[in-house]
Amino acid sequence: MNHPTVIRYLHAALVAGAVLSSVAQASTPAQLLADYSARAGSAPSPARGRALFTAPQGREWSCSTCHGAVPTQAGKHASTGKAIGALAPGFNAERFSDAAITEKWFRRNCNDVMGRECSAAEKADVLSWLLTLKP
Amino acid sequence: MNTVSASRAETAHSSPVRRKILVWDAPVRVFHWLMVASFAGAWLTAESERWRMVHVTLGYTMGGLVAFRILWGLVGTRHARFASFVRGPAVVLRYIRGILRGEPEHHTGHNPAGALAILALLGLTLAITASGWASFNEIGGRWPEKVHEMLASLMLAIAAAHVAGALFTSWQHRENLIGAMISGRKTALPEEGVRRAWSSVAALMLASVLGFWWLQWQSVPPGGSLAQLPVISAMARQHDHHHD
Repeated sequence: MNHPTVIRYLHAALVAGAVLSSVAQASTPAQLLADYSARAGSAPSPARGRALFTAPQGREWSCSTCHGAVPTQAGKHASTGKAIGALAPGFNAERFSDAAITEKWFRRNCNDVMGRECSAAEKADVLSWLLTLKP
Repeated sequence: MNTVSASRAETAHSSPVRRKILVWDAPVRVFHWLMVASFAGAWLTAESERWRMVHVTLGYTMGGLVAFRILWGLVGTRHARFASFVRGPAVVLRYIRGILRGEPEHHTGHNPAGALAILALLGLTLAITASGWASFNEIGGRWPEKVHEMLASLMLAIAAAHVAGALFTSWQHRENLIGAMISGRKTALPEEGVRRAWSSVAALMLASVLGFWWLQWQSVPPGGSLAQLPVISAMARQHDHHHD
């Protein structure tokens, strides 16, 4: 292998590594809560999170429309009728285990419920309430 | 059998016996535009749960369309067949070098670079449909949704390159390729044409797609908020009217 080829392979490996690490952002719910709280600059409030989750925010749907008022069991999608796995991490280990996926669903669902993205403080509030739900 | 008309542009354009002939059969054209509409629709409905059923329906539609297209690529008319347009890397490189030298090869069917985009788009559609199906049914954890999004972005980029290539080639050969994908006709040697348009097959495909959409529409739960969207209820009224 000549020199430029080696460089090219190294470069390809670096790019692949960067892509994989940006894709696999394994995390824990507690880490995500700490991140959101740090960005919010204030302590999260489970009570505020519960209120935000349960009540409509100016639009037809609230979070609980699809996830259930207490999301410790499967919810039902409001437009497809499909079952949605429990949202509380204590009842579904998949939930809030990946930073990119968590961000994606906050973005989509906040837009559907509030017509805008949620702030870091709002995400911290909701997640802190979800973490109080234990089996 | 599979003679590809790869002549230099100047000779290709000066031949007196060239006339308007049918190159793309009806199934190829209906497939193409249903894919365009479905991909655009699926992209636009990707961000909201309100549109989830539309998004999923359009995705499955594309999966079904590509399955048909693969079959048609084996048994369809001359220029629809993979054997007539899938070429090795050497041919693709020669084609690209020809463009760069300002001596572009002319192809009556798909050119080698276009063929590459077509294969990528077909393959990506299958992978995106499969990963979308897995996400929708919550199978396989979070990887399907990550793969789904990455491949969909890649497909958008390749579709954009495909459009840019079609526009550029249209300009370079003074030949309206977009119009040809609508009418099916190009100016070429008569022996390069296809004999039948197979409109019956295209009609069957279109009917299957509309039938699938109607079935999906029926499966939306009665209380589903989707039905209350003004656009959707208007579409439903029109749809019912259509079938009366």
